[in-house]
Amino acid sequence: MTSEIEVKVPAGLLATEDIAQRTARFEKDAMQYTNQLYAAAIRYTKNPHDAQDLVQDTYAKAFTSFHQFEPGTNLKAWLYRILTTTFINTYRKDQRRPLISDGEVEDWQLAASASHTSNLGKSAEDEVLDNLPDGDVKRALHEIPEEFRLTVFYADVEGYAYKEIAEILAIPAGTVMSRLHRGRKLLRSLLLDYAKDRGYVGSDGM
Amino acid sequence: MECNEFLYSLFLFIDNEIKDEGRVQSIELHFQHCPPCLTEMEREREILVQMKELLVKECQEAAPENLNDRIAQQTALLASQMYSPTQTITEYRRTETTINGETHIEIETSHEIRREFPLS
Repeated sequence: MTSEIEVKVPAGLLATEDIAQRTARFEKDAMQYTNQLYAAAIRYTKNPHDAQDLVQDTYAKAFTSFHQFEPGTNLKAWLYRILTTTFINTYRKDQRRPLISDGEVEDWQLAASASHTSNLGKSAEDEVLDNLPDGDVKRALHEIPEEFRLTVFYADVEGYAYKEIAEILAIPAGTVMSRLHRGRKLLRSLLLDYAKDRGYVGSDGM
Repeated sequence: MECNEFLYSLFLFIDNEIKDEGRVQSIELHFQHCPPCLTEMEREREILVQMKELLVKECQEAAPENLNDRIAQQTALLASQMYSPTQTITEYRRTETTINGETHIEIETSHEIRREFPLS
């Protein structure tokens, strides 16, 4: 990539790239992320078959616009951005369903979620998380609405900052905050529900 | 700082999303004086850490081998379609300007469409 050439050529023309060279660069740099893209795609489509098609379409779009990718910036995040666009254009085109209204987080919602009085509940919640059977978290993640699911995935699985998630999902950073907050809350209450169903915790909540 | 004000920032604090250093310091100072808030934050953080571990563990599906093959074939096909007889050549150009000891480096990219002649 250009960073190597930069050192050798102090000024002027760095490099030219034809299709064959670009293909080689794409194979080397972009193809290493197919596992991550596939795992992300499953969060969008919720099934392995559509996820494979989504990843393949994403790589087609990524390759044909690879010359627009700015070397030195985050390639994986760029691919996730294309994944999002591809999903919206291809897989949601005919579903004219209204998006879940986000509503920015109101002050009272944030405050209500965190108060000194809920400590008892939280230590029980710890225990619930310790005893979850395999697959429960994934099941809960797939049950919450897409908007929240994707934000939680990028924040808590991929570890992106709000600003990066905002770019990947093309939403304002404030919306990332509210979706993440509500998504995590939904996830936690679902897991608690599962635990209640199995009789791990009492029906009074704890 | 009031507890309510702190609790409002709890999630941003845990996510390291408070960019104002002064604000971070005043929150940390609040912890020293308010054990319930510290406990609250530590519990929330612990739950989040646990939740993240579970999510990471369960969201690691590997791409099926034939998906990698499909993408490789697709890339080769697209490359061959893009190659002939017209193709876009990308140039990376670097400009270095030093003004008053400050060096600015700019990398420009340009795309040029080249067509092979004569056409068959």
